[in-house]
Amino acid sequence: MSEQAISVRSMNKFYGEFHALKNIDLDVGRGEKVVICGPSGSGKSTLIRCINRLEEHQAGTIEVNGIPLDDNVDNIDEIRREAGMVFQNFNLFPHMTILENCTLAPTLVRKQSRKEAEEAAMSYLERVKIPEQAHKYPGELSGGQQQRVAIARALCMAPEIMLFDEPTSALDPEMISEVLDVMVGLAEEGMTMVCVTHEMGFARQVADRVIFMAEGEIIEEAPPGEFFDNPKSERTKTFLGQVLGH
Amino acid sequence: MTDLPIQHTSAFSNIKRHYFATPLNSAITVLLAAFTAWILWGFFNWAFLEAIWGYGKNEECRAHEHGACWSFVATRWRIVLFGLYPFEEQWRSALACIVMLIVAILSCVPVFWNAKRLPVLWMVGFATFYILMRGGVFGLTPVVERDWGGLSLTVFIFASVCLLGMPLSIIFALLRRSELPWIARTMALVIDVIRSLPLLAIMFTFAIVLPFVLPGWAIGDKLYRVIVGYAIFFACYQAEIIRGGIQAIPSGQEEAAKALGMGYWHRIGYIVLPQAFRNALPPTINQFVITFKETSLVTIIGFFDILASGRAAAGTADWSFATIEMYVFVGLLFFVFVFSLSRYGAYLERRMSLNSR
Repeated sequence: MSEQAISVRSMNKFYGEFHALKNIDLDVGRGEKVVICGPSGSGKSTLIRCINRLEEHQAGTIEVNGIPLDDNVDNIDEIRREAGMVFQNFNLFPHMTILENCTLAPTLVRKQSRKEAEEAAMSYLERVKIPEQAHKYPGELSGGQQQRVAIARALCMAPEIMLFDEPTSALDPEMISEVLDVMVGLAEEGMTMVCVTHEMGFARQVADRVIFMAEGEIIEEAPPGEFFDNPKSERTKTFLGQVLGH
Repeated sequence: MTDLPIQHTSAFSNIKRHYFATPLNSAITVLLAAFTAWILWGFFNWAFLEAIWGYGKNEECRAHEHGACWSFVATRWRIVLFGLYPFEEQWRSALACIVMLIVAILSCVPVFWNAKRLPVLWMVGFATFYILMRGGVFGLTPVVERDWGGLSLTVFIFASVCLLGMPLSIIFALLRRSELPWIARTMALVIDVIRSLPLLAIMFTFAIVLPFVLPGWAIGDKLYRVIVGYAIFFACYQAEIIRGGIQAIPSGQEEAAKALGMGYWHRIGYIVLPQAFRNALPPTINQFVITFKETSLVTIIGFFDILASGRAAAGTADWSFATIEMYVFVGLLFFVFVFSLSRYGAYLERRMSLNSR
């Protein structure tokens, strides 16, 4: 087994003529928490979506838990089982109850029994502090609650890595902290996390490393203390000035 | 907190506001009300007050032109309902119809919405229907498909077309949005070609032309060829309806399923199709209604569906004056069926919107 949870080597991604990601090299160690930030259109969401093949990269290699991400469908499915993902817009299945949302993939993909899956789902729903909503439909929940369910749903697959794609960007301000609390809890338990976010307080508190991207390139990466207090590149300084300076 | 006074509007003031706001408004209201009343009275008078009831009164009916002759229905209903089906065996046709009806009603009950129960229910239903109609086993006299007719034929064609066409339409819709361009484009072409042909031409081709092309063992009875042709026609329309339903699903839904490691068939079966059908419910019910009504086109290739049987029933010299009564009767049968279908569709919509509030 490889040392790295995620290992990306000189990866390039194009949308037609547009060069979306340029020579990305990224390693994420086991248990490491990485926060990716940068202006919109910098490719940070694209990068995280390439890791579980929601987007296809055109050059370079990606390995997740030592499994190469290539055109082999079995490998893709295995990587997706290992890496849970939380989306900006929650993407809960609206025609299923909260509990069904959480048990669907474990029963279908992990072949768990219904009872087993439901017990696990309830324990995760308790962990995100909404077990009492288990039999409601997503449309009956607030945004913050839906996002916590989305986290629980991903955890039900018992992934080794969690990918967060701007998990708080679509939330009303008063609901952001309830989601961040859950994520902090996860980080403290040692989960490997890659998180695209603008929540700089979260980055400072949780991240082992902060990565700054712009125009499809990684511009700078450093531990949060150094990144925030002593950024090297001009672009990082400008960005931080815009994000923190009000 | 201050309570605002709630505006109570009485029924009378509402009527006044909506229908008698200005003198012109009032005039139009009165005129239309009078016109409606006149038409309703005319129909009521014809259908009930002046009507002639009872068995075999065609001579009285002929003499009495102002009222409906329900005696026609009382006397000739068996021809309308069963067509050319042998008279002594018509109880079988009736029973077969009732079996189909029960199966249809049962499959509307959520208890049966289950990948195992529904197919079993329909297979048992179809087998019972076929054995009753076709006979030849259990001491039942054989009756060939050519002699089937009336309501049971209409119901049989409709049910077979939907059951054959529905799975086919799902396959068409999925092929139509395949990631391989040549599959998607070929399917799009097939759908567009078949949709641009008249249903009549397709039925005719399958009934008359196909026997020259197909090997002998694959020909089957004319009835089944027509049903297959009609089912393909149905599937092309329904496939586009389903595709529309699929396109209305946010892309995040499939992405979330992918991110959970769910494979293609799991994504289609548990995430995409349930939501697509929910989105596409109103046009789907619409398609069922149209399909039911268009079964009447099978007359053109010599089958006695309920409309053709009706015409036959009013076709003899002693009842030839009763065409209006015949059309009213057949129309009523169509109405009962289509109206229940629409109400059921409305119930489904309500139920689904409750589920995903």
